[in-house]
Amino acid sequence: MSTRNIAAVIVFSIVAVFFIFTALLMHPFGVPDESDMDDYIIDNTQEETGANNGVTAVVFDYRGFDTLGEATVLFTAVAGVIMIFRRLKND
Amino acid sequence: MTKMSKIVRTIASIAFPFAMIYGLYVIAHGHLTPGGGFQGGAIAASACAMILVAFGSKWTLDKIKEKRLSVFESLGGIGFIAIALLGLVFGAAFFNNFLTGSNFLFGTIPATGSGLADINTGGVLPLMNFAVGLKVIVGLFVIVLVMAYAATSFKEDKK
Amino acid sequence: MTFLELLHIIIPILIVAASVVAVLLKDLLAAVIAVAAMSLLLSLEFFILQAPDVAIAQAGVGACLTTAIFIIAIRATKRMEGEV
Repeated sequence: MSTRNIAAVIVFSIVAVFFIFTALLMHPFGVPDESDMDDYIIDNTQEETGANNGVTAVVFDYRGFDTLGEATVLFTAVAGVIMIFRRLKND
Repeated sequence: MTKMSKIVRTIASIAFPFAMIYGLYVIAHGHLTPGGGFQGGAIAASACAMILVAFGSKWTLDKIKEKRLSVFESLGGIGFIAIALLGLVFGAAFFNNFLTGSNFLFGTIPATGSGLADINTGGVLPLMNFAVGLKVIVGLFVIVLVMAYAATSFKEDKK
Repeated sequence: MTFLELLHIIIPILIVAASVVAVLLKDLLAAVIAVAAMSLLLSLEFFILQAPDVAIAQAGVGACLTTAIFIIAIRATKRMEGEV
């Protein structure tokens, strides 16, 4: 076995140990550690925003700036793709 | 990219309206059911990409105008920011939900708890869903279209 | 063990199996279909973890648009992978 393979095995083992420990330390499904924010949003979404879907209310109302950044990312991706492939076409 | 066989083209023609209507339904009901602007836009854009893969990029580019695509994408982005700025004008802050409880468009407040949904609720959320949905449909479709057309011309150059 | 817990065990195994098949296949078009199957199974896993929004986004972007882009790239090159 070459040195490169041994190094790959060691790196893979370290990463696998980290993943296994993270999986073992996960808290149970549906029970967050700090539940104040969740409880506030679940209780007040329908009165404050008038939407029945809480996820959309969080995405577009409570955390609107995140969606603005996401729209910017999409616009940048489209601009980059068009820029790269237009140059390929002209050459 | 050349067009595929007749079987693929027929099936794509039959399946396109259903996929498109499902995507638009997910966008329009974003404030009531799971999904929203991005998810519905991704479904509708995959319907357009299916047509593109089946019929080829030359046929698709003959059928649509590129100017209109750029106008639609800009309309989505500007509409999203304009609604957010209207929150600054009529309400208190950027991204303020100024339409809720105003008895205007989408102004009804639903009863608390689970129950039958009313589409006339949500304030600015449905409008923002439409804007982001338009932007995502056109944006993702333009990415696939430009890549397909560049692949075609690249292959012709190599011959 | 309930049916849902059984699904939580079966679907991740199928996801890993589909990924391994995608790596091992020599036909690139078949490998892309295997990646699409992996993406669809991942969307099913998101759905039974009670995240339908993420499931719809994964099914739309991962299983449809990525597959379309890969198919376009493969049709611009050769379909079969040669010997390295």
